Amino acid sequence: MPVNLRRSSGANTEQREGGHRRAFLGWLTSVGLFGSAVLSAFSNFVFIKPRATYGAPQRFSIGKPEDFPAGTRIAIESRRICVVREGEKLAAISTTCTHLGCIIGISDTGFACPCHGSRFDQDGNVTGGPAPRPLPWYKVSLAPNGEVEVDKDVEIEPGSYLNV
Amino acid sequence: MSAATPPKPAPPAPKPSLVGSLLSLPSNVWSSIFRNPLPGNDVERSATSFTNFFLHIHPVKVHENTLRPLYTLGLGLMSFFLFVILVVTGILLMFYYVPSTTQAYDRMLDLRGSVAFGTFLRNMHRWGAHGMVAIVFLHMCRVFFTGSYKKPREFNWVIGVLLLLVTLFLSFTGYLLPWDQLAFWAITVGAAIAGYAPVVGKDMQFLLLGDANVGQEALLRFYVLHVAVLPAVLTLLIAIHFWRIRKDGGLSRPAESEVQPEILSAPGADVVVTVKAVQLEPKKTYGLQGLVRGPLIKTGNVPDRSVFSWPNLLVAELFTFILTLSVILVVSLLFDAPLEEPVNVMHPPNPAKAPWYFLGLQEMVSYSAFWGGIGIPTLFVIGLLIAPYLDRAPGGVGKWFARERLLANTTFLTFVVVNVILVIIGTLFRGPNWAFVTPW
Repeated sequence: MPVNLRRSSGANTEQREGGHRRAFLGWLTSVGLFGSAVLSAFSNFVFIKPRATYGAPQRFSIGKPEDFPAGTRIAIESRRICVVREGEKLAAISTTCTHLGCIIGISDTGFACPCHGSRFDQDGNVTGGPAPRPLPWYKVSLAPNGEVEVDKDVEIEPGSYLNV
Repeated sequence: MSAATPPKPAPPAPKPSLVGSLLSLPSNVWSSIFRNPLPGNDVERSATSFTNFFLHIHPVKVHENTLRPLYTLGLGLMSFFLFVILVVTGILLMFYYVPSTTQAYDRMLDLRGSVAFGTFLRNMHRWGAHGMVAIVFLHMCRVFFTGSYKKPREFNWVIGVLLLLVTLFLSFTGYLLPWDQLAFWAITVGAAIAGYAPVVGKDMQFLLLGDANVGQEALLRFYVLHVAVLPAVLTLLIAIHFWRIRKDGGLSRPAESEVQPEILSAPGADVVVTVKAVQLEPKKTYGLQGLVRGPLIKTGNVPDRSVFSWPNLLVAELFTFILTLSVILVVSLLFDAPLEEPVNVMHPPNPAKAPWYFLGLQEMVSYSAFWGGIGIPTLFVIGLLIAPYLDRAPGGVGKWFARERLLANTTFLTFVVVNVILVIIGTLFRGPNWAFVTPW
């Protein structure tokens, strides 16, 4: 079928009289359509980003201070923390590797990651391997009922303990 | 004005009797579906390709270079057929699979223990997926080493790179679904790598996992990506990839002028019409053919080096399909897909390894998480995407390892060899704590 590429005969006069309006309306339509597309795409991301998660809570109780005798380092693997008790002082160190998120085991010299061989000292400082950052320390507090509460959303200065 | 008699109306066709209709029912149904008999001459061969929905993706004729097995190695078709096998086996597996952390692993055991052909289908799906990653990569190597990404095929190469990435992502999302130790820790490592991306890394990881850690939300998300989103994206990209092959003038081949210069310059030879690019004249009326880009009409004594798609191309495709399917069937009969212990969130295997095609990445990550996991891979992908826009020298298209493409081919070969070596190191030479071990 032949394709006629010519504009309709009235195009020239129309262009002279309504050219600006036409271009403006065209521009407005394009921006409107493109903007709507971008907004729709963005709203998809808003939708798939959960507001509440179904997984384990970030703030939780780990029991009475007496459960952690002085001088022990007890890993609570389900919470991915290691509870350190020195005398009357208590702290919670993350056991999630800062490299790629594997669970770190307690070793003689501190912590060791099984995935890529990162090693940390007793305070969580990197002593070897690819880990880029020391292990974070989490905020520990005493709840009114006398239980120790850990908040993994709040990282604190390494070396700061809770006196119990 | 002539006194032309109006044309006589044709005598009405005899009214078909019911018995006659019943007798001719099979042939009438057949001919209403297939509009052509099996072709016996060239006109019918053309018509067959045109009028069949499944065949009209083919051109009526293809250049004979397209059909040289040692030129293409059939790798692109193999990738496509593997995708088809994966779609079929994947849909069948969906009938039994439940994307739930409490059920997924049990369903894997059921597949093995109580579902007819369950193990076999899972084997086909797993080995097909591994095969597709490998074949797509080899297809990319073929296209590069024959210079086939050059103008006008630059954009199809870009689509091809995207296809490779989507294939890898499909394979990666499928890896989590059995919910065994291998799956869980490979995805934990992979998602953490995504978290190293600057600015958006943490958000990307959170969006992917739907939670702070790999769990039920991550399993559901990976399932949706694996069975709906990514296959749809891949199908669309494949459609564009195939369509562009036609529109870019078929598969690459040596330039015609290199083959037959004497004919073009022969005195008295008929004009060879070669429309390089069409300049549209707004004042002119065009036939549809006038808008089509590329060499249009071959006249005179230019040797026609094309052959009919039916049956030449179809036989080649059928052979490739049967070859691909047989290999997958035999491998699936001989080897069972691995299934490790159920997920134990407390105890990562040591070493925790990603799927083999990501072990090169993991090896690089063990040196530097950002550069190994994000920086260098991003540079690689960008390099692949813009390769056809950097290497614009026209020569050397259509033959393997052309001498004039020594620099480009050497660069790409280095890229391939480095990747393969990293994968081999990560697969065979890394033991507990990612320490160097020897496999023997």
